[in-house]
Parts: sequence; structure tokens; C-alpha cells
Amino acid sequence: MKENFKTWFAHLPAVPGMLACGVRRPNGKCAGLGDETKYPAEKIEKLLGHFAEQEKLLAGFAPRWTTWAFEYCRLRFVLRPDKCLLLLLVAPESEAEKSLDQLSREFLTIVVK
Amino acid sequence: MTREKNNESGLHVLIVDDDRDDLTILVDSFRSLSEGRWRIDAVDSVGEALQISKQGKTQLVILAVNTPVLDVSLLLSSFSQSSFDQQQFKLKKVVMTTMVTDEKRAASLAAGADMFIEKPLSPEGLKVAFAHISELAGWELPQDFESGGHSVALADLIQMECLARNSSVLELFHEQSLGRIYIEEGQVIHAVCGELSGERAFQRLFILTGTFELHDFEPPPERTVNRTWETLLSAAARQLDSLRDHSGTGQSSGDAGHHSGELDYQAEEMLICGSAGEVLYTWQCPDAAGRMALLQAVAGHAGKIIPEIQLGKLDRLEIQLPDGRAILQPRADRMIFVGLGNRNRKT
Repeated sequence: MKENFKTWFAHLPAVPGMLACGVRRPNGKCAGLGDETKYPAEKIEKLLGHFAEQEKLLAGFAPRWTTWAFEYCRLRFVLRPDKCLLLLLVAPESEAEKSLDQLSREFLTIVVK
Repeated sequence: MTREKNNESGLHVLIVDDDRDDLTILVDSFRSLSEGRWRIDAVDSVGEALQISKQGKTQLVILAVNTPVLDVSLLLSSFSQSSFDQQQFKLKKVVMTTMVTDEKRAASLAAGADMFIEKPLSPEGLKVAFAHISELAGWELPQDFESGGHSVALADLIQMECLARNSSVLELFHEQSLGRIYIEEGQVIHAVCGELSGERAFQRLFILTGTFELHDFEPPPERTVNRTWETLLSAAARQLDSLRDHSGTGQSSGDAGHHSGELDYQAEEMLICGSAGEVLYTWQCPDAAGRMALLQAVAGHAGKIIPEIQLGKLDRLEIQLPDGRAILQPRADRMIFVGLGNRNRKT
């Protein structure tokens, strides 16, 4: 996929039910998008940091992605071979939840510059 | 339920919906379902609604207006203060919305709504809503409506009860009572089916055929369910899909939707531990100690991040593997690990 990653990422909040999203680059730099009141960027970045650690715990499984199903939302983490980590925070039973697998596949194939 | 029914002179109903297409659907459906015995006034503006309300004939008002919370509250207050609400009959007020939120529910009920439900969009949903509203208004359903109860989906009824934060008992029959589902303030708290109880009973009731009745709430002998109703219904739907798939009557696996992929998996290992880490059940689990350690680590990790952001309790962690899935459920009372392999895996 040759689509520009920034454009792809910027469009994620438009998916109905997408509460927030974030990306952690291999160098540790993070970026977050979403409702600034409920899910401010610094919390999304902190969440990415937490789960970057958690992914190490799951490394033995070589997961394609993980989904944390909480009471009020779903957290999808997708870790690429280049260590770029994506977080999608979606509402349960939403269009965004149904799109999680498709978006995860796109993230695994998109060129991140 | 032993409520005095209110059918003799028909029921004067006022439906307010600012979406004219939806208004037409609601009016046509409810008129048809009541066999023409609901006398319906239909308006698409709040001003007209208040004018009609002053005539003092309306017994039931259904507000399906797409206005902010504050406006709905003010409107309900206006109805409550109008003269006809002070008459011999108590005006029943129902709020319908396409966007159900806790804020709207709380505000509507606080402002005097007797029922708060999601606006039905399907014929089945309209039928369920009609049954609920009729019950609220003390209006007896047509006889053939009750005999057609098979078609009213159990899932829709549970959803409706839970969204409205109702308390009730659903009883399933087939010649004799098959089981009961207890709902308290919008949460499923207990289910019983024969010797089964809890979630297994809930799931079993979904695959049985029969009719069901809604009773007034009574406290159950015990509380055996503590998952959210959304999770319970989702699991029941997956179970039904799976059964249909196995019986060859389901949709093809190529159908869109996030459930379809789940049908391609089969269980390959399972581990159930108690809260103290003791193994309660294991099946084909190659590394029980490792799985248990992972479950504990996941539970600990989830506990740490919850204060950071409003996520609620962790229900499960799903790990998508190259050729299967793993599902971890680290609950306070027990921890479960299930490994699933792809049925179509190339060996």
C-alpha cells in the first residue's frame, strides 16, 4: 500500500465509533488523535507506552495483533515487524469495532515514513 | 402481569417525531399492530405536540424527537405540568432515541419519562417496542399478537429491557417452564434453565424454542450472572451463528462481519484456574504454569492502566496469531485461557 501513512492515520477518527487512536514509532515518538477531553493525546501516548511493555510479555505468541476488551471500549494494538505500534480505541458494537481487522491489515502493509 | 387493561375505548396516543419518514413508519406500524384501535395523533414539532396535549385526550405520548437532552427534559416537564396530566388518568410518557446514552436516559427519566428505549428500526424491533409500550399504558395486546410471540426475538426483548433499565423476569415456555432470566435495573443478574444456572443457562435458553412471557420483577434466589448484557447477547449470537453453521443452515463463511471469521476456529487447548491460581480444569494445555502466569500478568497490567483512562473492567484479551487465536479472561473469581486453531490450517 502506497498511501501516505499520515493521511491514513489522520482519517482514522472519522470512522464511526473510533474514540481515539495513536501510533508509537520505533524511536519511541508517539502521536495521538481523538477526543481531547476524554482521551487526551498524553494519555494515549502513555497507554501506548504501557502496552509496548505488555507486547514484550506476549512476544512468545508472535501476535499479529491483540484486542483488549474492556467494559466501555476495545483497545486494538498492532505491532509491525519494524516495531511501529498502532493503538485503536473504539466503542463496543460500533462500525469502528467491525473495521478493526481491516484497519489492522492496512497498518501492517502501509509504508510508514 | 396483573395490571388493569385499558382497551375499551381505544388508546389516545400522541407521537412526536421530527423525522417525517420515521414518524410515518411509527404511526403505520403502531396503527397496524393495534389493529386500528390506537387513536394516533402524529406531529413533527414540539409546538404542535403541546397544542394537542392541551385538549386533554392524550393518554400516551411517544417522544422520538432528535433534540438535545435539555430540550427533551423541558418538553417532558411541559407535558407533566399540563392540565391533562392532572386528570383521572396518569399520562404515560415514552422517550425514543436513536442515540442511547446514560446522560439522555438519566435526564429523561428524571424529567418524568416512564420509559426510555432505543428507537426501533426493524419490524421486529417495532413489534417489541409496541408490546412494551402497550404494557406500560395498560393496553391489552391483540390475541393474535401474543400467539405470534415466536417471531419476537428474545434478544430484542432483553435489549429493550436492559436499555430501558427495567427490572423484570423473562420466562421461557414450551408446554412447561423451561427457564427464567432475571433482569434488575437493566442488568441480567441471574438465569436458570433446568439444572443449569448462570451464563450457561442464559446461553441454553437462546437455543431452545418456545414462547416467552415478561413478568414483574421478583428477587432471584441467587445472583449468577455478572457480565454485561451486551457481552451476554453477543456470546449468545455467536453461539447461534455457530450452531447454524454446523447444521448447514447458516450464512456462508464469506459473509461480511467480524463474527464470520470466528467460525473458522476450533478449540485446541483450555485452562481454567481459580482466583488463587489453582488449576480447576485443563485440556490439552501444553504449559499450564506458563499460561497461568500470563493470565496473572495480564490481570495485573489491566489493573494498573484502569486509573489512567476510563476503560471499565477488563473482560478479555484476544490475541490474533498467525494461524489461530488465544483468548484470555482474567476475572476476579476465575481465570480462563482458550487456544483456538484455524480449522482450515494447511498442515
